[in-house]
Amino acid sequence: MMMFDKFRRRRLLATAAITAFALTIGLGAGESHAQSGEKVTLKLANSQWLDALRGKNLWAAVAKYQETNPNVTLEQVAIPSAEFNDKLTTEMGAGQGPDLAMMQEGLFYAIADAGFLVDLSAATDGINLNKTNENGKIDGTQYGLAWQRAVYALIYNKPLLDAGKAKVPGTVDELIESAKAASAATPGVIGFTGRHQMNDFSGWFMDFQNWAYGYGVNWVDADGKLTIDTPEAAEAVAAFKKVYASGIMPIGDSMPTQRTRFKEKHAAFSIDNSGGTLNIASGGAMQSGELGSAPMPFPHPGAHQQIFVGVSSHSKHQEEAVAFVKWLMGPVGQQAMRDASGPDTLATDVPVSDAYAKTNPWAPTFAKLAETSRSTLIKGHEVETAQIMRFVMQAVEKVILTDAEPKTALAEAQAAVDKQF
Amino acid sequence: MSASGLKSRNGMARFVPYAFILPPMIYLMVFMFWPLARQMYMSFTNTRIINPNRGRFIGLGNFERLFEDPAFYLSLKVTLVYTVLTVIIGVTLGLIAALAIDRPFKGRSVVRAILLFGWAVPGVAASLIWLWMFNERSGILNRVAELIGLGRFSWLTSTDYALGSVLAVTVWQVAPFVMLVVLAALQSVPEEVREAAKIDGADPISTFRAVTLPHIRPAVQLAALLVTVWSIRRFDVIYLLTGGGPLGSTSTLVVKLRQTAFEGHELGMASAYGAVGLVLALLVAAIHYVAEQRRMKRMSR
Repeated sequence: MMMFDKFRRRRLLATAAITAFALTIGLGAGESHAQSGEKVTLKLANSQWLDALRGKNLWAAVAKYQETNPNVTLEQVAIPSAEFNDKLTTEMGAGQGPDLAMMQEGLFYAIADAGFLVDLSAATDGINLNKTNENGKIDGTQYGLAWQRAVYALIYNKPLLDAGKAKVPGTVDELIESAKAASAATPGVIGFTGRHQMNDFSGWFMDFQNWAYGYGVNWVDADGKLTIDTPEAAEAVAAFKKVYASGIMPIGDSMPTQRTRFKEKHAAFSIDNSGGTLNIASGGAMQSGELGSAPMPFPHPGAHQQIFVGVSSHSKHQEEAVAFVKWLMGPVGQQAMRDASGPDTLATDVPVSDAYAKTNPWAPTFAKLAETSRSTLIKGHEVETAQIMRFVMQAVEKVILTDAEPKTALAEAQAAVDKQF
Repeated sequence: MSASGLKSRNGMARFVPYAFILPPMIYLMVFMFWPLARQMYMSFTNTRIINPNRGRFIGLGNFERLFEDPAFYLSLKVTLVYTVLTVIIGVTLGLIAALAIDRPFKGRSVVRAILLFGWAVPGVAASLIWLWMFNERSGILNRVAELIGLGRFSWLTSTDYALGSVLAVTVWQVAPFVMLVVLAALQSVPEEVREAAKIDGADPISTFRAVTLPHIRPAVQLAALLVTVWSIRRFDVIYLLTGGGPLGSTSTLVVKLRQTAFEGHELGMASAYGAVGLVLALLVAAIHYVAEQRRMKRMSR
């Protein structure tokens, strides 16, 4: 009898456990953690969290989401920009990583190509997205939405130009002339700053696209064939060498060092994007009002760097992550982003305020240039752009460091590209 | 104790050494040999870093591409030159430094601490310090060069100086290690043998050659082996100082491996680079082994 009771009790307990488990699954199905009232933590990876002032402002902007969604906790995954791509590719490749990531365009394409991003079309319902989101759509699926688009411009230190009676240049020759004049008038001042070394390859190739596009380069022809050794490319390389060899650049300086020099009023001109310019204009010796901006001294428009926000397919909270992106693309999220992003172009058209434009007179030029700028990635070869540009930058390096002719160096690059792609 | 108890205890005792050796063996299997085997396999696949589980077996495809690529031969040459020069200069300077501070003198401990500084500083920190010193515009080296009328040098951006500059930083880090190893060996040279040589009329160089050198040779050989292997796989100093440039003049196999894996996302191809590095390291170890065997044979005669 006792044994029978024991057996019945066990069976009862087992049935109760199975029923409870089934009920939990049944109730949980079709309902997200956040909806069920359960606390959810979303991890957001971005290298910008580490930026001195901008990082804090951007985080404050996204953190506003928690005010209306108390069940969601946002957690920073701050990775230095130099390690960001390596770390994220490794983590995502291993089936891990953050729930959301703010990625440079090149990384975004690589991760989307591997199938590690989810469709974000649910986050765009009723939202009037601008053209910055076009490249986020691959084969008809919206895998990424614009976090920020940072367009490039020529920036300058107004007081240094005034001291040297230097004018804002419209050509490369005028740039050299004005930079020399500014340096001569104020001892210790550098004429022009810009990336120029292979140890900063990813940044350098993106910056160099301004020179290439500025001289009308298309790295692919109408048939999609890679065209490296064009007369336009040779002209762009020759122009870069002219500036490099003119003595106006601080050869050997890393980009952070050059930006610090600009910030501390030790540089007259630079070609930088709106994100970098915002950094220069904030929290340093230079007042934002002392900074000027203009189109780059090239015949054609330049480039922009784009950061996309994407949701990982490895995330356990995809639904909540997409809901966060929907909020980010909405009016509240976009206004919060605008307040933290300076002049960067956002996913929707949110203009900078008049007050901001007045305090930062350099900002409107960037907004204007964003209308015609081009992606740093090569159309149709987005995933391989870095590999292709490695050959191009090797040619540029050869020209600036030796007596090699741009045409010859680019022909070698063309041969290498033809062999590999 | 009964005979059967003793027998069983002896039987157990036979397994004790295996029990001791098992944990390190498991450790090596899991964290060394298994990843190594995976890497070797990967070198025969077209695995991409972004999706490592979707790699397809392509036989010797990666190695074919590798051996057709002139950049590979350049990186192999750079690796060999860099390694050989690091070993020769690093070991020589380390040996000289050890001999210099072997004898007691006033302030020896301070000098020893200063000489050891390079080895104690982490590679990344050392590279950043040197990056500033090499800076063409405001670096201390060019300031001094200008002061003495030599003008400015493009330490890291000229193909003439970049490898030399990277070598200088490497030697600055490596020589103190060699010094430490050799110093430990020097301290164990019997003083009476040196005294006997001196009494017999041997000059310092002959004493060094006949008494000291044979005694410290195994230590020097070991230090040289370690420095060689470390040089083949050194990444931080080179990557931070030059990134492999200018014009590939400092692009060693490891720098190329990183570029292939993380820039090109080609993990299979990067593994092929790794396999070549492994072969180089094994060759060095084999040479060391043969040299050591010959020395032992000579000594036993």
